[in-house]
Amino acid sequence: MGQHKTIMGKDLYWMNFFGLMILTLIEVAAVGLDLSPETTGLSYTEKELTLFILVGIGLPKFIMIAAIFMHLWGDEDSKILTLTALFPAFFIIVMILFIGLTHPEATTGLPEWCRPGFYS
Amino acid sequence: MSGQHDDHHHPSAWGPHHWDHGAPHNSWAPLIMSVGFGIFLFMLASAFSNDVVDASHIPMVMVGLLVVLFGLIIWWRQDLSFDGTYEPMATGTPFKNIQIRKVGMWVFLMSEMMVFTSLFSTYIRYRTGIENCQTVFERGDWVEQGYTLETGEALICFEPASHLIASSWWHIAPGAINTFALIVSSFTIVQALRYASKPVGEIDEGRRRKLVTRYLASTWLLAVIFLTLKMIEWFIGFYVPEISFLGIHEHDIKSLVAEGYTINADHYHHHNWVDEETGATMLADVTVGASTFYVTTGTHGVHVFGGIVGLTYMTLKAWKGGYTPENAVSIEYFGLYWHFVDLVWVIVFPFFYLY
Repeated sequence: MGQHKTIMGKDLYWMNFFGLMILTLIEVAAVGLDLSPETTGLSYTEKELTLFILVGIGLPKFIMIAAIFMHLWGDEDSKILTLTALFPAFFIIVMILFIGLTHPEATTGLPEWCRPGFYS
Repeated sequence: MSGQHDDHHHPSAWGPHHWDHGAPHNSWAPLIMSVGFGIFLFMLASAFSNDVVDASHIPMVMVGLLVVLFGLIIWWRQDLSFDGTYEPMATGTPFKNIQIRKVGMWVFLMSEMMVFTSLFSTYIRYRTGIENCQTVFERGDWVEQGYTLETGEALICFEPASHLIASSWWHIAPGAINTFALIVSSFTIVQALRYASKPVGEIDEGRRRKLVTRYLASTWLLAVIFLTLKMIEWFIGFYVPEISFLGIHEHDIKSLVAEGYTINADHYHHHNWVDEETGATMLADVTVGASTFYVTTGTHGVHVFGGIVGLTYMTLKAWKGGYTPENAVSIEYFGLYWHFVDLVWVIVFPFFYLY
């Protein structure tokens, strides 16, 4: 654990904690909007707006927990441990590409350049 | 390593250890626990084969759990005497001069990330590959195709659990409370680490013991709340009383299982799937959607349970005054695991509960 850190003069862990709570409130409220009678007229049949908000909030939450609570930011061995933590990112990308390539529309719905066998 | 290794004093394989004599390379605990987990998982899988619970396997499932418990007791006895005098450092590239246990924990978390990535990719694959049940319902051609309650024929489609959960504030409540519980627990474990690692002299030792115990116990309590709410959401449901000044009427919130959302729900019907013109109710086979939901959130729940087991021990150790600045890193390493459990939930909650 590194030395005691602050942000805007306040304790870093407390600030991170409050930030996470606020982001989670927004996350739940975004879904609450779907439940609101005022938004029933929206044409987002697959809740694209909700998905956009959820991804937009999930990403900073993920980074805040990893960087501050897991000490991947600011510690002396942060760099190598961050690289270690990012290693599965390669696996994640492969999995997502794998999913894309096995999608029923992969051979017809994707652009020519990213279809299997394009370079052969 | 601050303690000197002494070849004439072999540490016990059953514990407790004399840490001044070196690390317990000969501990039986990992082997015993691995065998226990093997028996437990193999027998559990056998007990649930072909959709039928074979009760004759249950005693062996319990034997597996007892073997795991036996291994845990050995491990805990050995660790209880750990005072931080022996903290081996990595010597090879790229982790040179970083504590071996810390590196080990990160490598473990890396493998865990891959496990959850597999589960997520399975979910994405099925969710994008199989037509959404709500879309099929709104299209309306299921009536003429005969996928109705009257005919008993069900169509295969993907029904995300979020369709039920995000249908009202009351249904979202257990998952939302759990999200806040995990965030608070991430904070309490960090606070436990902070007070455990405060240098001697900066804090009264009695106060250190009290605060570390209090924060670890709070983390334990929040983890228990998490699993309790998960049980309520999956199996039990809950009662909402009449709160007239808020306009809330007395009603029951059904559990997911009571709603019929199960891993073998081949004749599932949502309460809103009623065609206004004909009055017909759509029947759907939602086994794929339900399976991905229960397997992913269940795997996460198992990790929370594992955290509870670890926290039980750590809280007892803290209560006995077992944490000092020298061995506070043990809380940090457990904290890494616990934050990872929180990280996974950051992804699980929006994509399995909200969207």
